[in-house]
Amino acid sequence: MIKAVDISVTLGKRLILDHVAFEAQAGQVTAIVGPNGSGKTTLLRAVTGDVAHKGVVSLEGANIAKMPAWELASRRAVLPQASTLAFPFTVIEVVRMGQQNGSSGGFEPIAMAALARVGLQDYANRFLQDLSGGEQQRVQLARVLAQVWFPVVDGMPRWLFLDEPVSALDIGHQLQVMQIMRDFAQAGGGVITVMHDLNLTAMYADRVMMMSGGRLIANDAPAQVLTDDILSRAYNCDLQTNVLPAAGVPFILPHMAQV
Amino acid sequence: MMRSSLSAATQLRLALSAACVGIAALCAGPVSAQSSDATRILSIGGSVTEIVYALNQQHRLIARDTTSVFPEAAIKLPDVGYIRALSAEGVLSVAPELILSEEGAGPPETVAALQAASIPFVTIPEAYTAQGVVAKVLAVGEALGQQQAAQALGDQINQQFAQAADKLNGVTERKKVLFVLSTQGGRVLASGTHTAADGIITMAGGINAITAFEGYKPLTDEAILAAAPDVILMMDRTGDHAIDDEAIRAMPAFMPTAAAQTGAIIRMDGAYLLGFGPRTAQAALDLHAALYGG
Amino acid sequence: MTALSEAPRVMDRMQLARMAHLWLAVLLVLVSVASLAIGASGTSLWAALMKVAQGQTLTQTEEVVLWDIRAPRLVLGILVGASLAVSGAVMQGLFRNPLADPGLVGVSAGAGLGAISAIVLGGLLPASVAAITGPYLVPVAAFLGGWCSTMLLYRVATRGGRTSVATMLLAGIALGALSGAASGLLVYAADDRQLRDLTFWGLGSLAGASWAKVMIAGPLILLAVGVATTLGRGLNGLAMGEATAHHIGIPVQRMKNIAILTVAAATGAAVAVSGGIGFIGIVVPHLLRLWTGPDHRTLLINSALLGAILLLVADMISRVVIAPAELPIGIVTAVLGAPVFLWILLRKRGMVDM
Repeated sequence: MIKAVDISVTLGKRLILDHVAFEAQAGQVTAIVGPNGSGKTTLLRAVTGDVAHKGVVSLEGANIAKMPAWELASRRAVLPQASTLAFPFTVIEVVRMGQQNGSSGGFEPIAMAALARVGLQDYANRFLQDLSGGEQQRVQLARVLAQVWFPVVDGMPRWLFLDEPVSALDIGHQLQVMQIMRDFAQAGGGVITVMHDLNLTAMYADRVMMMSGGRLIANDAPAQVLTDDILSRAYNCDLQTNVLPAAGVPFILPHMAQV
Repeated sequence: MMRSSLSAATQLRLALSAACVGIAALCAGPVSAQSSDATRILSIGGSVTEIVYALNQQHRLIARDTTSVFPEAAIKLPDVGYIRALSAEGVLSVAPELILSEEGAGPPETVAALQAASIPFVTIPEAYTAQGVVAKVLAVGEALGQQQAAQALGDQINQQFAQAADKLNGVTERKKVLFVLSTQGGRVLASGTHTAADGIITMAGGINAITAFEGYKPLTDEAILAAAPDVILMMDRTGDHAIDDEAIRAMPAFMPTAAAQTGAIIRMDGAYLLGFGPRTAQAALDLHAALYGG
Repeated sequence: MTALSEAPRVMDRMQLARMAHLWLAVLLVLVSVASLAIGASGTSLWAALMKVAQGQTLTQTEEVVLWDIRAPRLVLGILVGASLAVSGAVMQGLFRNPLADPGLVGVSAGAGLGAISAIVLGGLLPASVAAITGPYLVPVAAFLGGWCSTMLLYRVATRGGRTSVATMLLAGIALGALSGAASGLLVYAADDRQLRDLTFWGLGSLAGASWAKVMIAGPLILLAVGVATTLGRGLNGLAMGEATAHHIGIPVQRMKNIAILTVAAATGAAVAVSGGIGFIGIVVPHLLRLWTGPDHRTLLINSALLGAILLLVADMISRVVIAPAELPIGIVTAVLGAPVFLWILLRKRGMVDM
């Protein structure tokens, strides 16, 4: 279980996160949603320790601020919104970097398996920089997966923290990646992901945390959070769920896709 | 934490270096003077090489350094590099039995290695005066076992210096001489005191126009005007880098000076003028003649 | 992006890099033997070994040339070459930029200022002090100068236990300008002989090699280079940014501390004993990245080996080409290094941009 108590973040004089508290369970996909600037990413970065904050985040009861890097790395993996790479590493070398330092140790086949999981097994020996943006994002996901390949080790769940993991992907790969999260949670691991796409969130998340103006305004099952009222309030515009648009305008829902 | 580790490292280094200097000092030992009959001599420093030639001992020379370019025959000898950056093995490769050097040969490790190889290393003292030149000649003569010839050469040089000094008596008004080392990019690099240029100017009966600093330094244009030289003294340069007299006279800093107005620009060969070897007395006389005529 | 279609299929570069350890080690041994055998004096290593094998005693010249001149020069060449190349690779990893060099953390500027101060102001020391410092004044001052300026930059760039690499870079530029000005002031005060000393110091040379120098600089360089070669995994992680490095389990701040301290020590010591030798730190890691990939776990060790090899080769050239005089080694490394570097840039422009 991830437990965050009283998380506040100020950047300059601006209060970005205002006393946010939540719990997230292993075995579930927890999605953080909300409009631009609502503090979604900052909340995730506070939880992963990337931004200075007040309050305490604990992982299975242990304060993560006090855990050494290697121990944290063996229990949770983090996928940032954008990744950079300084030198011409190949795809497989990048994936291995996650694996070497994580809980799955140096077991060689895992890196290839993780790459296959995101559908890029044929790209192993290409240079990462030669790949498209979406492909690079999937390689980074494979690296993160390789780091915590087994969702549960010795009865302890592993965690994935993902910041908009599907933002650069086409709809087919979005579904593929959402399914990866789902499977990870189903196998007993924990997933906390920042999401922009509300349809995908509704389809795959077990819990939805709605952020607005630096505050957590709702934290419940998707059906309870993704309502006309809460959405309209959070996104500051009138929104209606489950209503068909006017005839003649095509609309495409990921719900109907067959992968 | 940082500070304590720094000072610990410092102390360690100082202790180590002190120990090593101790070892080096033990290795060095006194230089043997019993090498005056050596036939394979390496001469380092232009003036020392000139003296060897002047003493007619050139048949004993086997190599020279980069600054030894007179007489012309010397250039044909193997060159072991610049006096301050000698290579130990390079020096050993010419198998010298005796090394004669001006002051300041280095680096110290090379000198230490040569001493370890038991090669006599004689340093000839340097001074930019008439006595200094004669002392050099005598020191080289002693190192070569040619005391008598050296004495004769020394006497001859003394005589020339005396002659130069005599001529000085006839000079009523001494001329202010500005020695210009270079005018690279319009910046004038000139000689202050404690240089060979200062020494030769004084010997020739001139007054160094710049006495505010030691060594060779760039001058501001206004300092040149303030120095008001009667004569500009430069080294002869062959090749394209030479700046001609017209260009010098046209430089704003020089234009108003008496030197530029009268075209009093004297050029002399660098090694001859500044070498402080056996030709220096003659050079002083030549410069005197150029300054005051006849 | 024509490179996309013709991107080379990269085999398992880890294996290639491990083979490279072996190749380079063998090459280093060969070059070392050559370095002992080649020299202006014509003293033969083989003849001397033969004599030793037969129990004969060596002539004094043989002993001096082989033991006091070539041997310490060989050892110092290996140490200096290795530390320059490894320091370059570590800096490039730390700054995530293939053109970074130890100069960025102020070592070179500080060492230069230290050396210039010692050369110009050394004469002002009282005779008793000069007797103690002797010929080691310049190297010691260079080392201290490099070390102090790095520590200063490090202090400036560290806030609340976190070192900002970007701040360090900017402060390094400021400090570089400042020590450049101070050096200029000293150059102005220098006499012409000191000026020539300064010039020669800046061009670098192994000509001053002695066992004493090896004894002083050797342990420090060995320790620093040894520690630096353990940074491979951390530098790999850092290639993905500090945050990601932390997430995959790298103790980022501790790694930065170690990287900066080892580079300051290794480069400081190398520059102190050999003067300024350029290009090794940039060309060596770059060549290796093209050959065996950027994985720092093997890159650092290979850099040490190749750096030592290249410096020994450059040194052999420097002492043979105008024998019996000697060309400053900095000239040789630049003459060899610069065209190779340009050639790499032209041929592999796509890879360099990455």
